[in-house]
Amino acid sequence: MTALETPPPKPRVRARSPEAWSWVFMRLSGLALVFLALIHFTITHIVNDVVETDYDFVAERWHNPAWRMFDWLLLVLALSHGVNGLRTIVDDYVRSPGRRKAVKAVLYGLTGVLVIVGTFTILAFPTRPR
Amino acid sequence: MSTGSTRYKGKSGQWAFLGHRITGFLVFLFLLLHIVDVSLLRWPETYDQVHRLYGNVVLRLFEVGLLLALVFHTFNGMRIVAVDMFPEAVRNQRRLLQVVVALTLLTGIPGGVVIMWPFIEGRIL
Repeated sequence: MTALETPPPKPRVRARSPEAWSWVFMRLSGLALVFLALIHFTITHIVNDVVETDYDFVAERWHNPAWRMFDWLLLVLALSHGVNGLRTIVDDYVRSPGRRKAVKAVLYGLTGVLVIVGTFTILAFPTRPR
Repeated sequence: MSTGSTRYKGKSGQWAFLGHRITGFLVFLFLLLHIVDVSLLRWPETYDQVHRLYGNVVLRLFEVGLLLALVFHTFNGMRIVAVDMFPEAVRNQRRLLQVVVALTLLTGIPGGVVIMWPFIEGRIL
């Protein structure tokens, strides 16, 4: 047996550091995304062909506020799960503190803009068909 | 392996780690593009025009790639959660990764065939 196959000691997390919360968040958002992302992909790429998901298709689905809520949750959880993952990747590979700060600023700025654009797209969509 | 290599000798676990990072990064990149294309809904004709591009064969292959990245990231993420919850499971970590790869192919290949079906049938080029 190699050292890797020895079970680690049971983790005993007492102090809730930001990194511990980040760990919890990745597990919870990840589990929610298993359902949100896979249901979304199945509806828009498997059950319906991608070319069928045109404006009228979206209009029909977003007529129901529950689907708007579903899509908004997917937007926010996917972006925050993704940005948190990228944050750890930046910490691993960008070693100089200045560049790390700059890369993170771009990453957070881009994510913030996309949350706003996506939220606006869902909220501003008309409730009646064109 | 050369002594100068930065690769750690984590074997299958190392590939799972690398695969998780790469697929996560790729799905995030697609998400950026996807939020921008959906924002075109504000201009219905433009949205439909741009959206039709997704039906061509190159972007369909891209779609299959997205599916494979998504299902690998999903099943590998579930493996990570499982090992976190049941540390004893690390004894079977190699078998667990084989299950992840099997599930990725079992869902990704049939899904990919469905996505490519209009091309397979010869309806699009």
